[in-house]
Amino acid sequence: MATKKLSRRDFLRLSGASAALMASGLNIQSMLQAAPANQDVTKIVFGGWGATAEDNGVQAAIKQFMIENPNIAVEWQLTPAAGDYMQQLLTNFAAGTAPDTSFIDASRYETLRASGQLMDITDRLKADPQLSQKGYFFEPQEADRCADANGHWHGIGSTWVAHHTYFNQDLFDKAGIKPPGFQDDEIWDWDTFIANAKQLTVDANGKHPDDAGFDADNIQQWAVNWEMWWMPIAAAIYSNGGEYVNKDGLLAIDSPEAMEAMQRLVDLIYVHHVAPRTASMSDLGMTSTQMVDNGRLAMAVDGSWALSWLNPAAMKVPMGTGAIPKMKKPATVMQAHFHSIISSTQHPEEAWQWLKFLASPFYTLSFMKIGLWLPSQSAQVTPDGLKEWITEGIHPDNYVDFVTEYLPKYGVALRIPNGYIEAETSFITPAFQAMSAGTPVADVMPEAVKQANEIIKAAQAS
Amino acid sequence: MTTHSNLKVSDSSLTPRWFNSLSTSKRRNITGYLFIMPFILGFLFWFLAPASVAVYLTFQKYNLISAPQFIGLKNIERLFNDPLLLLSLKATFLYTLLSVPLGLLLSFFLASLINRQFRGIAIFRTIYYLPSIVPAVANALLWAWMFNTEFGLINVFIRALGGSKVAWLQSTSWAIPAFVILSLWGTGSSMIIFLAGLQGIPDIYYEAAEIDGAGRWAKLRHITLPLMSPIIFFNLLLGFINTFQVFTIGYLVTNGGPENSTLFLVLYIYRTAFQNQNMGYAAALSWVLFFILMILSFITFKYLGSRVYYENPGD
Repeated sequence: MATKKLSRRDFLRLSGASAALMASGLNIQSMLQAAPANQDVTKIVFGGWGATAEDNGVQAAIKQFMIENPNIAVEWQLTPAAGDYMQQLLTNFAAGTAPDTSFIDASRYETLRASGQLMDITDRLKADPQLSQKGYFFEPQEADRCADANGHWHGIGSTWVAHHTYFNQDLFDKAGIKPPGFQDDEIWDWDTFIANAKQLTVDANGKHPDDAGFDADNIQQWAVNWEMWWMPIAAAIYSNGGEYVNKDGLLAIDSPEAMEAMQRLVDLIYVHHVAPRTASMSDLGMTSTQMVDNGRLAMAVDGSWALSWLNPAAMKVPMGTGAIPKMKKPATVMQAHFHSIISSTQHPEEAWQWLKFLASPFYTLSFMKIGLWLPSQSAQVTPDGLKEWITEGIHPDNYVDFVTEYLPKYGVALRIPNGYIEAETSFITPAFQAMSAGTPVADVMPEAVKQANEIIKAAQAS
Repeated sequence: MTTHSNLKVSDSSLTPRWFNSLSTSKRRNITGYLFIMPFILGFLFWFLAPASVAVYLTFQKYNLISAPQFIGLKNIERLFNDPLLLLSLKATFLYTLLSVPLGLLLSFFLASLINRQFRGIAIFRTIYYLPSIVPAVANALLWAWMFNTEFGLINVFIRALGGSKVAWLQSTSWAIPAFVILSLWGTGSSMIIFLAGLQGIPDIYYEAAEIDGAGRWAKLRHITLPLMSPIIFFNLLLGFINTFQVFTIGYLVTNGGPENSTLFLVLYIYRTAFQNQNMGYAAALSWVLFFILMILSFITFKYLGSRVYYENPGD
């Protein structure tokens, strides 16, 4: 038997060839594995805004969603500021390059709905075993904001946020005043609020507003800051039995109740001298909640979202939360952006799967744990549900009262009408500025509301 | 201009044959056009094209979402019946009329101060110039702090001097003056232009005038000002055009407030277009800006241009 000796060259040739074969075999194998998935993956684009916290939350959600739905790839397009994003979205509409799914600012929801840009999700919602469960969302607030007059939904609220007070416990202890809470008997009425606020306001000589020789121009510590923009103003108006928007979608802040409520807010500055001139803190790097932290302010009426950067663990002083003082009844306004499917999407089914995921506990919990969001699903305020997100070091002890008792009873969800943005920037904000500068509310509001409602009516008619 | 004719228009080895076959004057023209092509293209794409679209949009109702809809002259009619346009013109004119002359005076004054030679002058020039290289946004935020009613540095000074707090940015009467002060902060760039002009005035003129017995005032009036007039004119025109387009401070510091007292024209155009989604009316408003600037430039050229002294006319 003739044996053929393998030359060194042949050996190398052979081993090279087999290595190549193995390598290509592996390649083929991996290609075979990946190929079917690649072919079936549908890409949808999700647009929105937010800071690092939102960005991280959305990215984590996308990761989880793509594990659960390997055939859908979500591309996240982030713009830092909400206002910039909405303008970008509008130009995307004009250019025909809108994303498949998107954050929708609450103040644009009705406008975009009316112009047919948001997909009607009513049927899908009704057919969904999870989301259609009775009481899945906080009701009636969720339907109040999402559904139109005919009960059609064009988006799902991302969450809720609402105003409450933040207070500096040290300053209250020093003044010997028990801070407000969220239980019915812990909510301050307006007179109690004013009386306590005067005790909490101190000028450079240690005097309070009712003391002789009090120097209103040289206040070192204010009792409260109540910002003068629509959400905290609306809370006061509802508390006084008025409405911000009436059932016809028109502004109703020229009613006697509404104007009385607003005048009371302004009086905090000019009559009682317990609040700083409001604009002095907005437009600045410092928020009113930060001023609570540094002791310049005893109490701030601010959004619940502020908890995410001013939680007790991050504060220099013990910080607490409580309800907004009431006028006739307790009230706060609940708001948040929507998640919607853009009508032009080529992938409505995949977009719906993603939208549904955004309304699932996974996504909302991540933001609730850091103090940015409040629950919007009933299951999140049951004793078991609360354990999922109430976080020590973030949420003050009485925060459970806020979400389980106060909000369901006193939270008002309102729908911002089509045309509101123009009406607000042109006439309502200037009127708020005039009253913040000391002009009597009754002198500016009726005319401003009249002009604003003309814009809203024109928008609704077109 | 003999130097120009020595300029070699092209190196024939680098250019295509058809180009080399052209007559010298044609070749020279083509080369010239190529050199100014960046401007021509910029003009076509970034001015003429958008301006044509603006003409079209002026007669449309367009909200960026639905297709534009022809509405005739409605947007133009609205211009004559718009209280916000009046407020916005008032804010823009007031700001321009205060900040341009004050800016010119201050930058001229600063330029004369630093137009000297002594040790360390470079440091002073840098100090005065520095604010104008601070980004506009940082500048706006910085001054928002400075003007803050309760905690701002300016009110701290006013109170230390025994005055009472001024609600700078919350008062309809103080907001524009506050912005004028803010604008003076960035006067360094026109100062540099003035400085260059001042340094271009030959010393012999001053020496001659001194021999004739001219004092400081006479030298300023009869030598410096006439010789500087082209530069003053340039800075004035540029000042008008820039301040009429003021946007950043109104947008960032006050957002048009209080009570629309700082709703500058460009801010109003921006709001109308992108917040109120009314592109048609925004286009109409931008024509208002265009015509105001055109008329102002015309007036400036006609009435002030003739007073400008050019040392070498025809150069």
